[in-house]
Amino acid sequence: MFTTGSKLLIGSAFAAAVFATAYGITQGGALGTIGLISAALALSMLAALNIMVRDSNVSAMDHAAFESSPAAQASARPSLWPLLVAIGATTLTLGLVTSRAFFILGLVAIIAGGLEWLVQGWSERASSELAYNASARNLLADPLELPVAGAAGAAVVVYAFSRVMLGLPNKSSTVVAFAVLAAIVVASGAFVGTKRGLSRAAMTGAFSVAIVALIAAGAVFGLLGERATEEHHTTAYIAEENECGVAPTEADEGASQTIGGKSNLAAEVIFDGSTLTSKATGFTGTFDTLTLPRSNSNNIAFRNDSGDVARLVIEMHPLENSDGELSGAERLCTALVDEGGVQLLTIVFDRPSRAIEGGYEFTVPGSDVRLEVVVP
Amino acid sequence: MTDTRSPRPFLAPVAALGAMLVLASCASNAPQDTWKPEGEYAQKIQDLQWWVFLIAGIVGVIVFLVVLFAVIKFRDRGQAIPEQSHGNTLIEYAFIAGPAVLLAVIAIPTVSLVLELNDTADADCVVNVTGQQWWWEYDYPIDADGNICGFAPTADAAPIVTSGQMIIPTQAKVVIRGTSRDVIHSFWVPKLNGKRDMVPGRVHTWNFQANRPGIYAGQCAEFCGLSHANMRMEIVALDDADFQAWIDNQLEPYQSPAEGTLAAAGETTFAAQCASCHQVDGLTNADGELIIAQPENRVWSGAAPNLTNLMTRNTFAGASWDLLIDQCRDDVWEADPDKFGERYLQGVAPECLNQIDLKEWLRNAPAKKPMYADPEQLEETDGLVRGMPNLNLSEDQINELVAYLLERK
Amino acid sequence: MALIERQKTDVLVPAVVTPSSTYGAFRRPVETTGWKSWLFTIDHKKLGIMYGAAALFFFVVGGLEALLIRAQLAGPDGTILSADKYNQMFTMHATTMVFLFVMPMAAAFANYFVPLQIGARDVAFPRINAFGFWCFLFGAIFINTSWLLGGAADGGWFMYAPNSSVPFSPTHGIDFWALGLQITGIASLTGAINLIVTVINMRAPGMTLMKMPIFTWMILVVQFLLLFAIPVITVALFLLMFQRVFDATFFSVEAGADPLLWQHLFWIFGHPEVYILILPSFGIVSEVLPVFSKKPLFGYPLVVFSGAAIGFVGWGVWAHHMFASGLGPISVAVFSVSTMAIAIPTGVKIVNWTMTMWGGKITFTTSMLFAIGLIVQFTIGGLSGVTHSVAPSDTQQTDTYYIVAHFHYVLFGGAILGIFSGLYYWWPKIFGKMLSESLGKWNFWLMIVGMNLTFGPMHIIGLQGQPRRMYRWTENRAGEGFFNLGFWNLVASIGSFVLGIGILLFFINIVVSHRRHGPAPLDPWDARSLEWMTTNPPKEHNFDQIPVVGHLDEFFHRKYEDRGDGDHHEFVQVATAEEIMADQEAHADAHIHLPSPSYWPILLALGLPVMAYGVIFNFILIPIGAAIVLLSMFGWSLEPHTAADADYDPPPSSGGAALEVADHG
Repeated sequence: MFTTGSKLLIGSAFAAAVFATAYGITQGGALGTIGLISAALALSMLAALNIMVRDSNVSAMDHAAFESSPAAQASARPSLWPLLVAIGATTLTLGLVTSRAFFILGLVAIIAGGLEWLVQGWSERASSELAYNASARNLLADPLELPVAGAAGAAVVVYAFSRVMLGLPNKSSTVVAFAVLAAIVVASGAFVGTKRGLSRAAMTGAFSVAIVALIAAGAVFGLLGERATEEHHTTAYIAEENECGVAPTEADEGASQTIGGKSNLAAEVIFDGSTLTSKATGFTGTFDTLTLPRSNSNNIAFRNDSGDVARLVIEMHPLENSDGELSGAERLCTALVDEGGVQLLTIVFDRPSRAIEGGYEFTVPGSDVRLEVVVP
Repeated sequence: MTDTRSPRPFLAPVAALGAMLVLASCASNAPQDTWKPEGEYAQKIQDLQWWVFLIAGIVGVIVFLVVLFAVIKFRDRGQAIPEQSHGNTLIEYAFIAGPAVLLAVIAIPTVSLVLELNDTADADCVVNVTGQQWWWEYDYPIDADGNICGFAPTADAAPIVTSGQMIIPTQAKVVIRGTSRDVIHSFWVPKLNGKRDMVPGRVHTWNFQANRPGIYAGQCAEFCGLSHANMRMEIVALDDADFQAWIDNQLEPYQSPAEGTLAAAGETTFAAQCASCHQVDGLTNADGELIIAQPENRVWSGAAPNLTNLMTRNTFAGASWDLLIDQCRDDVWEADPDKFGERYLQGVAPECLNQIDLKEWLRNAPAKKPMYADPEQLEETDGLVRGMPNLNLSEDQINELVAYLLERK
Repeated sequence: MALIERQKTDVLVPAVVTPSSTYGAFRRPVETTGWKSWLFTIDHKKLGIMYGAAALFFFVVGGLEALLIRAQLAGPDGTILSADKYNQMFTMHATTMVFLFVMPMAAAFANYFVPLQIGARDVAFPRINAFGFWCFLFGAIFINTSWLLGGAADGGWFMYAPNSSVPFSPTHGIDFWALGLQITGIASLTGAINLIVTVINMRAPGMTLMKMPIFTWMILVVQFLLLFAIPVITVALFLLMFQRVFDATFFSVEAGADPLLWQHLFWIFGHPEVYILILPSFGIVSEVLPVFSKKPLFGYPLVVFSGAAIGFVGWGVWAHHMFASGLGPISVAVFSVSTMAIAIPTGVKIVNWTMTMWGGKITFTTSMLFAIGLIVQFTIGGLSGVTHSVAPSDTQQTDTYYIVAHFHYVLFGGAILGIFSGLYYWWPKIFGKMLSESLGKWNFWLMIVGMNLTFGPMHIIGLQGQPRRMYRWTENRAGEGFFNLGFWNLVASIGSFVLGIGILLFFINIVVSHRRHGPAPLDPWDARSLEWMTTNPPKEHNFDQIPVVGHLDEFFHRKYEDRGDGDHHEFVQVATAEEIMADQEAHADAHIHLPSPSYWPILLALGLPVMAYGVIFNFILIPIGAAIVLLSMFGWSLEPHTAADADYDPPPSSGGAALEVADHG
C-alpha cells in the first residue's frame, strides 16, 4: 500500500504538524508556526503525490514491464553533484552578503553541478548496463567537460603560480623561484624517466600533492598581496609633456640601458661629456654631423660615454596639416642613459632641415653640446 | 651571339638538356647579365661561381651518363631475375664522402667571400639610398671634411638629392647605406654586385665599384607591390673629372626661366601643380619664399623625386622610361668609356627629349605605370596616394611643364 | 555498410535492455553507393581518391594560372594581364601548386597506400581523416572564392611584410589567403598526427620499422615535418591576420617592429615545406624503381636515414632564402654551409636510385619513365641548388628567373614527376583499370620536353638578369642577338603550352583507358610490397587476412624463393599473386572491425570557412560558424564508432545485437 518513499514523507508531514502545534503553543510566534504548518502541508502534498505515482515504480504486478524498467534494474549511483550544488548555493548566498566573487563562484558551481547532475541522471536511465551508462554519460559530457575542466585547471595553476610570483618581494627572487621550479620539474622528470616502474597511484599522488601545494601557496601569497608595482610613463609621454630636460622623470626610473637586439641602425650618437658625435653605419670614423633621409623611420642609438647620466633630445618642429593641427611630437628624447648605457630613438623627419630655422640638432640637456642633423 | 670574351661555364648544367646544348647561346650585351662583371665585387662573385658551376656541371654530366648507361645496359632483355642485393656499404660511404669533400672545397672560399663582400671599411664615397614604391632616391651626404663622395665641391656644399640614376666616381669604393620608406625593396645592379634588400627601419650597407665609366642597369629585385616591374635603377660611373663636374652642376643655384617664355609659364604651373610634392631647390612662390615640398601630405611613403636637376639624368619615373629618344640614348649608352662622361654630362638636349613618354606621363601617370591613385582604393591610406596621381593637366599646361622641366639641369 | 559479415553472436543477457546507440535525431549514413557514400565516408581509400581528385582539379587551376603568366611574359610589355591581376596570378599559382596540389596529392597517396603498405585496415582515426580532407577542400575553395570577392591575394606566396599590410594591399585577397591556409593547415596537422599514429601502432605483425616500405617511411618523415612546420606558419598567419584585421603592429616599422620577423617565421616553415613537397615523391620513385628493375632498393637503410637526415637538417637552412635580406655576414656564412650540407643526403638518394637500376632487369613502363625522369630532372634542380648555396653567387641569382628555374626543376622535375610516376604505378590498384601505356609515353615525353623548354631557358633568363615577379619585361634590358632574353622568354612560353598539352594527355588517358580497358590484372607490375597483396581495387577492409611480415618487400618474397646456395642466388617463382590472394581469402579473418560513415566530419569542417567569412565580411557569421562547429563536435562525440542496426533500412539480414566497435574514432 504505502511505498517506502511515501512512508518517509507521511512521517515527516506528521512530525511537522506536531511540531507546529507544539511551537504554536509554547512559543506563540506567528512566523514560526506558519512556517511549520506550511512545511507540514507541503510534505503532505508530496506524500500524496508519491502514493499516487507509487514511488514512480511500475506496477509490481506487471512482470514484463517491471523487469524491463530501468528503475527496476539500476539503483542510482553515488553522486558528487548534489553536494556541489549545495555548496554552490551556500557560496552564492554567502556571496550576496560578502563579495561578488563568491556569488559568481557559487553560481558557476550551481550551474556546473546542475548540468552534471542532469547528465548523470539521464545516463543512469539509459539502460541497465552500468558500463554502457558510464560511456553514454562520457559521450555527452566529455566534449564540454574536458576542455572546460582543462582550461579551468590550467587557469587555476597559472593563477596560483602568478600570485606566488607577484607576491615574491623583488625581481631577482622571482628569477630564483623560476629557476628552482624549473630545476624541480627537470629533476622529477629525470626521476620518473629513470624509474619506469613507478605505480600509477604513486604518480597521481605525487602530482596531486604538487598541485595542492601550488594552490595553497597561491592562496597564501594571494592573501598577502602583490609586491608594489612600478609604473612608468613612456619617453614619448614625457616628450609630450615637455619634460625632456636634465631632471630625472618617472620614465627614467629603471629604464633599460641596453638595446642588444637591435642591429642595422641608421647611426649611433655618442656623448662623451664634452662632444656629441655620430657614427653611422657604412662610414669610417665619427662625425659632428649626421645625414638622415626624410620621411623615414630612422633608428638611432644613443650611447652615453660621459661620466654622468645624460639624455638625447631633438626638437622636431612639427608641421601644421590642413586642419591646422600639429602632426607628431614637438620634441623627442631618450630616457636618462646611465654611464655606458645605450638607448634607442626612432625618428621620422617630416621636412628637410633647410625648411627649419637653425636646422635639426641633437642636444644633451645640461651640456652645451650639439650634433647637427642634415635632412636633405 | 656567342661571346668569346669570357667562358660560359654556367651552361654546363644546362648542357644536359640536349636541345639546349645545340642552341647554347645567350643574349649578348644584356644590360643585367650577372656573368659580365664590370666591377670588383661582381668580379669576385664571378671568380667564385664559375668553377662552382663547372663542378656542378661535371657532376651533372656524370650522373646523366651513368643513368643513361644503366638504362641502356640493364634494360630487360629476358635475363634472369637479378640478385636481390640490398646494397654495398663501401660504395654507399664513398658516395657520402665524395660529395662531402666536394662541398667542403666549395664552402671555404664561399665563407671568405661572404665576409669580404660585407666589409664596408675604407669607403671612398658613401651614398644614402632610399627605396619607396616605386623608385629609388639617392642622397649624397657631406662628410667630415666638407666633401661629397670624397670630392670637394667648388661651390658651398649641400646634400645632393637625386633619383633613378646613382652617379658614382669610377674606381672608387662606394658604400651605399640603404633603407626603405614603405615595403622591402632590393637594390641590384648585376654588373657591379649582387643584390641587397632595403628594409624599412634598418640600414643595410652594400659595396659598389665600377672599373670603367658607363651606365650599369639594375632592377628592384624584391617584390614590392603593384608596379614592382617598373622600379628600375641605374648606376652611372664617371671618371674623376666628370664626377667633379657633375657635383658642381648639381650644386649650381636655381635659375628661373627667362620672362615671357613658355618655360616661365611652366614655372608657375609647376609651383601650383607639382611643387607640393616635388622639390625643386631654389624655386620660390609669389611672395619670394622658398617652396618646400610636403609630399608627406599627399603620398603614403612621404616622398617624391627631387626634380631640381631632372634633365641631367636621362630616365624618369623609377628609371622606367627614357628621357632621351632612342638615337640619343644609344649615343650615351654605347659611348666609349673615355667619351662617356662628356656625353652623359650633356644631359637632355631639347632635340633629344623623349616627349612622347614624358607627356603621356604628365597626362595620366597611373595609366602609364600602375599605381594606387584611385580614391576608392585610398581609404586604407587616409587618402594618401602610392605613386603619382592623375593631375588632369591640360595640354597647354603639359607643354609649359615640359618646357620648364627641360631647363632643369 | 562496413561490416563485412556480421557474425551472429548470442544476445548478451535476456533480461537486459539493449542500449540505444543513437542519441541524436539523425540516422547514420550507411550507404555504400551513391553520393552519400562519398560525402560521409571515413574510408581511407575513398578519402584518398577524393584528395587526389581535388588535388588534380587544383593542379589544373594552378596550371591555367601558370599558362596565363607565361602568355603575359611571352613578349615584351605583355598586356594580357594587368599588373594587379598578374600579381594575384603568380601569388595564387604558387599557393595553389604548393598548398592545394602537391601537399594534398601527397596526402592522397599517403591516405590510400600507407594503411595498405603496412597491412592495416584503416588509419588510426578515420573520422579525423575525413575531417582533414574536408578542411583541405573547404579551405581551398575558400581561398579561391577570393577571385570573385574583390580579388585574390597579391603579395606573393611568401607574403613578405610589410607589403602584406592593409595599406599596401587594400583588397581582402590576403585575408582570404591567410584564413584559408589556416583551414588547410588544420587538414595537414590532423593528417600528420593520424598517419604518425597509424604507422607507429598499426603495422602488420612482423613489420619492424626497418622492414617498412620506403614510401611509408618517407611519408612518416613528412608527417613529422608537418607536425612541427604547420604550427610555425599558423603563428605567422595569426600575426598577419591580427595585423590586417585588428590593426596589430607586429610588422609596423613605425611602431618599432622589424619586418624580418615575418621572413624568419615564414621560412622556418617554408624550407621544411620544400621537403614536405618533395619527400613523398622520393618515396614513390623508391617504390617504382625497384619494381621495374626487379631488384630491391639499393641501400634501403641509407635511403631511410638520408630521408630522416633531410628531415632534420631541413630545419637548419631556412635563412638561405634570405641571403640578400641583410642578415649579416656570420649568419649568411653559417646558413650557406648548412645548405651545402643538406645536398649530401639528397645526393645519396640520387646515387641509390641509380645503383638500384644498376645490374637490374629494367622494363620501361610509363611509371618507370617518370621515375627515371625524376632522377635526371631533379639532379639538375639539385645542382643548380648547390650553385646558390654559395651565398655570394646567390646574391646575384636570388629573385631572378634562375631561382624560378631551380625550384621548378626541383618541384616539377621532382615532386610532380614523382606524383605522375605514382599515378601510373598505382592507377590499376586504385581503380582496377590499367592506364594506356602508349598514351602514357606521349604524356611523359611531352611533359619532359615541355618542362625543359619552359624551365630550361629560365636558367639563362635569370643569369642574364631578369628578376622574378615582374608583370612585364622590357626590350631595353633583354640584350641583343637572336638568342636574347626575348627569344628565351618566348621559348619558355611555348614550352609551357607543350607542357600543358602533355598534362592534358594524362586526363585524356584516364577517359580513354576507362572506356576501353577491361579489368587490370591482379599484379600487373610484379610488384614487391603489401598493397599489391589484395584485390584491385582493394576490398573495403583491405585484407581478408592481416598479413604476417617476414621481409622487406614481403610480397616479392612470397612470390619468389631463392633456390641457389651459398653465394649463388637463383630466384624462382613459387607462387602467383592469384594464388596468394586465394590463400588469403581462404583464411579470411572472422571478425573485421570497421568504423561507419559519419555526417559530422564534413559538417564540422563546413563551420570553419563560415567563421572565416565572418572575420572578413561580418562578425555575425563567426558565432554562426562556431555554432556549427560546436554542434558537430557534440554530434561527433555522441556517435558510436559503428552504426547500429536501427540505422539500416531495412536492417541487415544478418544483424545481431553485438556492437562492433573500432579502436579509435
